[in-house]
Amino acid sequence: MLKREQSDLLTQTGPGTPMGRMFRSYWIPALLAEELPENDCPPVRVKLVSERLIAFRDTEGRCGLVDEFCAHRGVSLWFARNEQCGLRCPYHGWKYDVTGQCVDVPSEPEASGFAKKIKLQSYPLVERGGVLWTYMGPPEQQPPPPEWEFITVPPRQTFTSKRIQESNWLQAMEGGIDSSHVSWLHRGDLNSDPLFKGAKGNQYNLSDARPVFEVVESPGGLYIGARRNAEEGRYYWRITQWVMPAFTMIPPRGNHSVHGHFWIPIDDENCWTWSFDYHPVRELTDAELAAMRDGKGIHVRYIPGTYRPLANKDNDYLIDRAAQKAGRTFSGVEGIAMQDASLQESMGPIVDRTKENLVSTDNGIIMARHRLLRAVKALTQNGTVPPGVDLAHQKVRSAAIVLPPDVPFTEGAREALVARPEVAPASV
Amino acid sequence: MSESARATSAAEARFRVQVPNSRPRAIKVVALDRAGEAAVRRLAGADWHHAALFASVSPDGTLTAVDGGTRSVADEVNGADLVVFVAGPGGHAHATRVVGEACSRRRVTTTGFLVGAASAPEPEISKTLAQIRPWSLMVVISRSDDYIADMMTALRA
Repeated sequence: MLKREQSDLLTQTGPGTPMGRMFRSYWIPALLAEELPENDCPPVRVKLVSERLIAFRDTEGRCGLVDEFCAHRGVSLWFARNEQCGLRCPYHGWKYDVTGQCVDVPSEPEASGFAKKIKLQSYPLVERGGVLWTYMGPPEQQPPPPEWEFITVPPRQTFTSKRIQESNWLQAMEGGIDSSHVSWLHRGDLNSDPLFKGAKGNQYNLSDARPVFEVVESPGGLYIGARRNAEEGRYYWRITQWVMPAFTMIPPRGNHSVHGHFWIPIDDENCWTWSFDYHPVRELTDAELAAMRDGKGIHVRYIPGTYRPLANKDNDYLIDRAAQKAGRTFSGVEGIAMQDASLQESMGPIVDRTKENLVSTDNGIIMARHRLLRAVKALTQNGTVPPGVDLAHQKVRSAAIVLPPDVPFTEGAREALVARPEVAPASV
Repeated sequence: MSESARATSAAEARFRVQVPNSRPRAIKVVALDRAGEAAVRRLAGADWHHAALFASVSPDGTLTAVDGGTRSVADEVNGADLVVFVAGPGGHAHATRVVGEACSRRRVTTTGFLVGAASAPEPEISKTLAQIRPWSLMVVISRSDDYIADMMTALRA
């Protein structure tokens, strides 16, 4: 249960809101690089944390993210011509560069200097690991660009997709740290999905549906450990990473790739779910990449030409009651990603947390809210930089590991929880 | 429009049934050592409706409430939906077994809460973990002791 005012604080991320200020402390994923594939390509509408923006790549390859609307009459620059290092509004020809600076107002004499007085809000847009990242906070507080491991490995070792989710970011993110749902909702997928099956750890999962959880604060967020019995009295640990505010990383299985998510607000009722898969020490195989593009693992199949899942609320997520009854899927929805999204969207755009009845195994969620509330307060009252901005907080890994029973997982998996170049992940 | 599209709109959310969907749960919070006692006594300053707070437990199974009254472990566990153990690092949580065994017999859910972990060395944390892990279905290690109050609120204590 969360008080309504606390829920409002965490779920509202528009300009001027406390949580909006917090999101604007970080570099966040804005677009896939494939959305701006070449210089002078068509501009792309982007809505992030309740701000409507337009992204474009100019003639010299520089990327810009600026206010969507022309300063003159409010025309959407989605209709603009991307030409000669700027976006030119088709209505009266006003032109803007990647910084949002107006560089040409054809109706005014050039010597008047009028164009210099017009500037659209703009944010930096940098490419890292096939993703275009933006920082929407005060320029003087801009941190160094992100260094998550999945964007620093060679391109053949990583794959990232995104999908629109029609719910508030928080209920989506909370699903990412809710380890206790896996044994139920996704039980049909561990032995069938090509990106999960075959790992020895799956047998530990399937033979012990009642794991014991341990939640431990980490420098950037939380470690959420799920403990199951292994051989000879030892414990099989699956350790999820949450880094504030919206990064989650799922423990790996066998030699499969490591994966995780970002949950980024579009507005208060929609978010982008970013999904990445990478392997720290090897290239992804063609079969793995094909599976990811085909919507396996944590990815989805799309409505062609969009980033909207093919299974979505307009077609009842293609629910298959016969598959549900036969046990092929537990909820009747196919695929891990949409199994999660369908249920999270069913809660409504912003779930009413005053009505929920959390239990002991929800401590990961309770602790995450606690840390978010504490960080927002510190940021807004004292200007304290929130956890997760520090690059050291980004050099993390999830882990799956077997440990002796008397060892804290934070001790036994200390090195495994840190991203180290060219070191294989701890996985079972 | 599909069933899901219609049902998940903000407009439809207004029609969620307003009748309370749960009855109060009884939560017992038991300090297992001096660090735990300090944390539990701080909790006593808040207004809990469904929680009983105990500052200590003796080897013979007597709980001492923060107001000084005594109860038996068996009676308290018998009426509990959740028992929260609170202990600090250092391995002084010997009494975990006394409460834990009672919870195990009655199939009562348990959460072990390690306070004061921020400044403690790992071996000291490890000693307490070895004591509370066998009896806890959930273990929480927090840097801030105020988390336990948030947890209690979240669980409707």
